[in-house]
Amino acid sequence: MPFNQAFALSSVLLAATAFTGLVLAQSVPLWLALPTAIILTVSLLHAGGNHFVRQAMARVTVSPTLWNVLLIGALAILLIDLTVVSRDLLPAGIHFLVMLLAIKLLTLQQRRDYRHLYGISLMAILASAALTTDAWYVPIFLLYLLAAVWTLLLYHLTQETGETPAAVTPSSTATGQTTFPSRITHHFFWLTNGIAVLTVVLTLAIFFLIPRIGAGMLQKTSGEALRTTGFSDRVDLGTIGSVKQDPQIVMRVELPDQSAIEKDRLYLRGLAYNQYNGQSWSHSGTRRRSLNLVADGTFLARPGGSRPLGGRSGTIRQDILLETLDTAVLFAVPFAELVNGEFLTVQTDAMGGLHLPFPPSSRIRYSVTSHVPQVVENERTASVLAYPDSIRAHYLQVPLGSQLVAELAHRVIQQTTTPFGQTLAIQQHLLENYRYSLEADTATLSHPLEEFLFTRKTGYCEHYATAMVVMLRTVGIPARLVTGFLATEWNEYGGYFTVRQRDAHAWVEVYFPQSGWVTMDPTPTVNAAVATSRWESLSRLGESVRLQWDRLFVRYSAKDQLAVVHGVREGSDAVRERVSRWVSSLSAPISQVFSRLAHLARTFQPGMLGLVTGVIVVGLALFLLMLRDRIGLWATTHLPTAHPELAIVQLYTRMLRTVEKHGVSKPPAATASEFARLVEQKWKAAGPMVADVTALYHQGRFGRNPLTPGELSRAAEQVGRLQSLPHAAR
Amino acid sequence: MKHPLLNLRASRPFSFVQGMSRRRSIRLTSEGTRFLLFTFGIGLAAINTGNNLFYLLLAMMLSLIVISGLLSEYCLRRLEFHRHVPDLIMANEPTTLTLSVTNRNRHLSSFSLRLLDVVEGQDVDRGLSIHLLPPQSSVLLSYPLLATKRGWIRFQGIRAYTLFPFGLFLKKGLYSTEAHLLVSPPIKPLTLRFVDELVSEGQGQSLPQRGHGTQLYNLRLYQPGDDSRAIHWMTTARTSQLIVRETEAEDQRRITVVLSILAPEECAPLFERSVTFVASLLWQLTERAYPVRLLIGTEDSGLGAGSAHLLAMLRLLALCERQSPEPNGVSHHGAHPPLTHEAERGYTVAVVPWSNQAAPTNMEQADRVLHATQLEELTHAF
Repeated sequence: MPFNQAFALSSVLLAATAFTGLVLAQSVPLWLALPTAIILTVSLLHAGGNHFVRQAMARVTVSPTLWNVLLIGALAILLIDLTVVSRDLLPAGIHFLVMLLAIKLLTLQQRRDYRHLYGISLMAILASAALTTDAWYVPIFLLYLLAAVWTLLLYHLTQETGETPAAVTPSSTATGQTTFPSRITHHFFWLTNGIAVLTVVLTLAIFFLIPRIGAGMLQKTSGEALRTTGFSDRVDLGTIGSVKQDPQIVMRVELPDQSAIEKDRLYLRGLAYNQYNGQSWSHSGTRRRSLNLVADGTFLARPGGSRPLGGRSGTIRQDILLETLDTAVLFAVPFAELVNGEFLTVQTDAMGGLHLPFPPSSRIRYSVTSHVPQVVENERTASVLAYPDSIRAHYLQVPLGSQLVAELAHRVIQQTTTPFGQTLAIQQHLLENYRYSLEADTATLSHPLEEFLFTRKTGYCEHYATAMVVMLRTVGIPARLVTGFLATEWNEYGGYFTVRQRDAHAWVEVYFPQSGWVTMDPTPTVNAAVATSRWESLSRLGESVRLQWDRLFVRYSAKDQLAVVHGVREGSDAVRERVSRWVSSLSAPISQVFSRLAHLARTFQPGMLGLVTGVIVVGLALFLLMLRDRIGLWATTHLPTAHPELAIVQLYTRMLRTVEKHGVSKPPAATASEFARLVEQKWKAAGPMVADVTALYHQGRFGRNPLTPGELSRAAEQVGRLQSLPHAAR
Repeated sequence: MKHPLLNLRASRPFSFVQGMSRRRSIRLTSEGTRFLLFTFGIGLAAINTGNNLFYLLLAMMLSLIVISGLLSEYCLRRLEFHRHVPDLIMANEPTTLTLSVTNRNRHLSSFSLRLLDVVEGQDVDRGLSIHLLPPQSSVLLSYPLLATKRGWIRFQGIRAYTLFPFGLFLKKGLYSTEAHLLVSPPIKPLTLRFVDELVSEGQGQSLPQRGHGTQLYNLRLYQPGDDSRAIHWMTTARTSQLIVRETEAEDQRRITVVLSILAPEECAPLFERSVTFVASLLWQLTERAYPVRLLIGTEDSGLGAGSAHLLAMLRLLALCERQSPEPNGVSHHGAHPPLTHEAERGYTVAVVPWSNQAAPTNMEQADRVLHATQLEELTHAF
């Protein structure tokens, strides 16, 4: 492809990439995107050398006045857009930018026009960076970078070749080419792509090294918050069902201290409710308290002075990346002890729910350390449990008209004698006798619970949980409803749980005096087919890539930089320590042997040590002296040299010296071939070796192509064999 | 004496830095300025918003700048220049100089090289450019040079610059390739009548003698012992007697040209024209195979003939410098060369662009003295 054509094509591709970024950021309306896309396509075809398009465009001549009129029109549209339509600078500016891009693509004639195009495309890619944080920006950015490198390079080279007059084209030697090739060559293609790759590497390095400073004077919130249900002050029975089909991602949860195998599901607690009026749940205590800040960004969720309740409990640490939601609730595995994040303050309510003062305006990342209590042994078998008055006051409330439910509950627990056993019996009853279905819309019913328990016998998590709570309360066991998410989707590529809207769930917390609130879930597990299809697997991989993009690029902060520095320092300390341990382990036996020898020498005779050392040194020197030829041969063929042809010259010289030692000297006037024939006559045994080395010498010294390493080794081998031959027979 | 630690300018690190700064320089082009402004703007936006994607774009712009610097440096690195200049050229005569450029890089070609000649500390654009110089290859460049003044032209080096790869920066590198080129005075045509007159005067004043030469002196009968190669066969055939040819001793036609270098400032143009006149005269005499000798100040070319001797004399003329007379009119020592014994110098022509009437010099002893007035007449067309 000719340079000029490549230059035009790369310039248009640069603009096309930037425009694609804007389109993917959904900032360009259809009425503008479509004509611009058409103009881009035509420009690409024109730059690519499509004859039809070129001929068509050659026929069309437009006066410069028209372009100026179009420009003024675009300015007018900008003003209208700014004041009436969008009423926002960013979208109006983007629309104007796209119009400018389209006009400029149609007027690419002078080099100044190309410069304007580059400026517009740079603004466009900048605008798309402002509008999105999605992972699709990665390929767009990389394409833009590649196009930018090609474009800048070709812009410069076409300028150079255009400016230099032919008269001063210098004469060239046989080996040199001073004029630029008129077409893109193979070498140039790979050189430019190599420069682009180098630019990518350097970009990444600079990106991670630039200190992060955010003045934030004109920061704007990005994106709309995701609508959630089930986390407000009042939850109607059946409202969670509305989101059970929504696949939108709500959060991602990593478990740094545990492998996924250990956990196939994870309960992420949101809010708890204790008051049920027969149709909806609410919580009686709305008072919240702020958590104490115990360290930099770390809040203690447990009240000061309190201790974890008894019972076997495990600690789970979770790193949560929460999308922008319309709720200020912080989700975590029950029950949170420590919360760490970039928060000014974190609050908790009376039932252990975590809240931020306001719903976050952007995605947030935080860590939680939770203790998961389990029922202690003696409470499992205790026939009677004494509940505190406060618990009884808040968590035994049942709605009016729950006689049927109470009767059912008493029927279910007939065979059991302990509260724990009763709890399990009720749970089991619900698990076995009711069918899970999302079609049970009970939001409009007056007695949705009774409808679920006695009529339909189908429902989803809210129904099951409500039923269990009410049934437990009717038999005197305190319980409450909890809403949150149940994470079951493990992303093996990223090592985290992906939590979606459809994972919204409701379960039960049952109170035991010593064990505390224990999580129980009466909803039967819906064994959704584990996504094993390739498409789902690819989808998870893409999701993991998006998360890494978000973590490494979008969320990269000064804190991460410090963490990298600490990590590098710790890493280098660890490496240094490991190396010194390795060296010590190696040198220990050697120094042991030497000290033993020295001790032996000293005990045998005091001056022996010096003698032994001397003998060893002299012996080593003699040994090296004996092997100097071999070492020299090895060095000639294996050590790198500035001029490879020197190696064969050195070998040939070595051969001459060896032959001379055996009494056959090369006459000054004899050529190498003549000498080889002479050796053949005077020292038959050495003849073939000398002939071979001579041939290689000729090839390496005077031939066009240098000797291969194999040939050099062969020459060295022949010289070595020559050295080991006995003296020449005279 | 200054303490070595305080004498920074004499320190090696300072010299190294100074050398490097002279050898390499970098300047922004107009495109580079715009690029930097854009980079600055994006940087400002990134700092303002804290948006990491802005930082990514900023990193891209910065990496392009760094790559540009690295590649341009690599283009200029390991270039070797060898200049080939003639020993002597003439002023106002175009000459071709050659410059060999070699790229010692192993892998990367050098692109978009423009070369400037550094002469007397000034960069002179000869229009030399190399679009592409592959690795381990060389190219020979030729360019015309027209010197307008006699004397030395000191080539200090070659300054190579490139805009590769993106045209954002102009990277210059200085390569020291010292060379000296001597420019002799131009050769101007002299009126044939004057030269003929001069020659005939010279001949008239010299007594022809038998000797080695090319001009015919005498024809006589062959005598035993004569060189048989001297037999003049045409006359021998005509007379039927062996006739030998005797030649006239050429050293009898010797001419000595003396140039006075004494002249005040206001006579400098005439002095230069006198130098040109002497060069042209010597050229004419050499063309006519006259043994010539040149005396300038204390410099003596010796008597000689042929082109080599002419070049030697032209070198003397190229390097002669005008001397201003003392305020008291006494000439400098050596301003007027001593005129030796008449037999040795032959016919002497003195060129005196300026003389002090009050202090006559030994130039008056010459056979022909050309004073300012005559010189003006003879050189008005120069």
